[in-house]
Amino acid sequence: MFDVILSTMPFLLDGLWMTFKISLITIFFGSLIGAVVGMLRTLDYAVINYPLGAYIHTLRGTPFLIHLYFIYFILPATGISWLQFEAFPAAVIALSLYTSTYVAEIVRAAIQAVPRGQSEAARSTGMTALQCMWYVVLPQAVKLMIPPMGGVYVIIIKGTSIVSVIGIAELVRAGEHATQRHPKELMVIYGMTALLYFAYCYPVLRLARWAETKFGSVRLPS
Amino acid sequence: MMDWILDFYNYRVVGQYLPEFARGFASTVWISLLALGISLSVGTITAMMRMSANPLLWRFAAGYVQAIRSTPLLIQIYLIYFTLPALPLLGRRLDEFEGGVIALGLNAGAYMSEIIRAGIESISSGQIEGAQSVGMTYLQRMRYVVLPQAFARVAPPLLGQTAVLIKDSSLVSFIGVFELFGAGLTVLNERLMPNEAFLTVAVCYLMIYSVMLSVTRYAQRRLGGTAA
Repeated sequence: MFDVILSTMPFLLDGLWMTFKISLITIFFGSLIGAVVGMLRTLDYAVINYPLGAYIHTLRGTPFLIHLYFIYFILPATGISWLQFEAFPAAVIALSLYTSTYVAEIVRAAIQAVPRGQSEAARSTGMTALQCMWYVVLPQAVKLMIPPMGGVYVIIIKGTSIVSVIGIAELVRAGEHATQRHPKELMVIYGMTALLYFAYCYPVLRLARWAETKFGSVRLPS
Repeated sequence: MMDWILDFYNYRVVGQYLPEFARGFASTVWISLLALGISLSVGTITAMMRMSANPLLWRFAAGYVQAIRSTPLLIQIYLIYFTLPALPLLGRRLDEFEGGVIALGLNAGAYMSEIIRAGIESISSGQIEGAQSVGMTYLQRMRYVVLPQAFARVAPPLLGQTAVLIKDSSLVSFIGVFELFGAGLTVLNERLMPNEAFLTVAVCYLMIYSVMLSVTRYAQRRLGGTAA
């Protein structure tokens, strides 16, 4: 058993490194898209709100596997040249869009949790809507976003396990390869894989909980 | 125009595979129902253990919830499907359907338990004291006083978690269980038509989701919001 652990560990760590890279890139792009969508949603213009609501509900209403297959199989089938994706960009795009729906709801809830008087006061001193958002509302809202964003980051890390299906050599894929070399040691190898995920996710969850006691948090609509 | 539509989404092929999609749809609903039953039972027991004064009980429950929350569902499915049969207590292999349902149920159970715990904690102590004063035992108090109110209060988030469970059930296709997503895979493999395969599946999932959404909204109205 120990020789199996020793001989497969380097491969699993390679996989973990890939998982780490994907999750880091995804949290960046996912937060970016999500922040824009969330802020636009707080403006409450029906023209923007309905399409964005449809965007969020469509992504929330279908499994992530569908998003992944949509971007990896269906978009290239349109024949449009800039919609042809390699596995890695496809995985990052699908995960980022999926993440953005969570981030958008967090951003919206946090902005709405800032008392109305704050933005009213800012606007009455002659600030534009953008200035009010940037100098007054966002600085207060950001603190409320930090704890739930920890939860989102863990969702991303767990989500990366699914992109193994289009051939990304991340942790689950590395585990699957290892089981082909040691077919009798399934339990050990998948157990190790699970422990590596745990080692990555658990500190993030603890950090999020610590941040929640420090900054408070927003409650998300279920 | 017609040609272009047929080229992009050939509904005749979808029509041919309609029985497959229907079978997959039914299977997804059935798997989700079974897993929901497991998750609610596991979730209730875990929530009660988590609130127990006995350190052995609450530490076990807390560890279970943390372990589930910190690992991907896919790995949980693999671990349960591949390693439970190795344990001697069963005496036989789990088939992929049982393995998938158990993994889904245990996964959702951890999330459900956190919601149910919030529900139980929201019940005022007067209710429990009242039940104690008429001589109810712990289990009677839970069964007749606390849990009915707790479930009513957290019904909306529980339904939300159920919607997540239904989407997650697509992952059991990885161990070869036939369900809605598997029906899409069949069309992809036999006809190499990703659009017909996955757009159809996506619409089916959206249909289930919109039903869940309206049930959740109804529960929110009827039961007066979330307690959690």
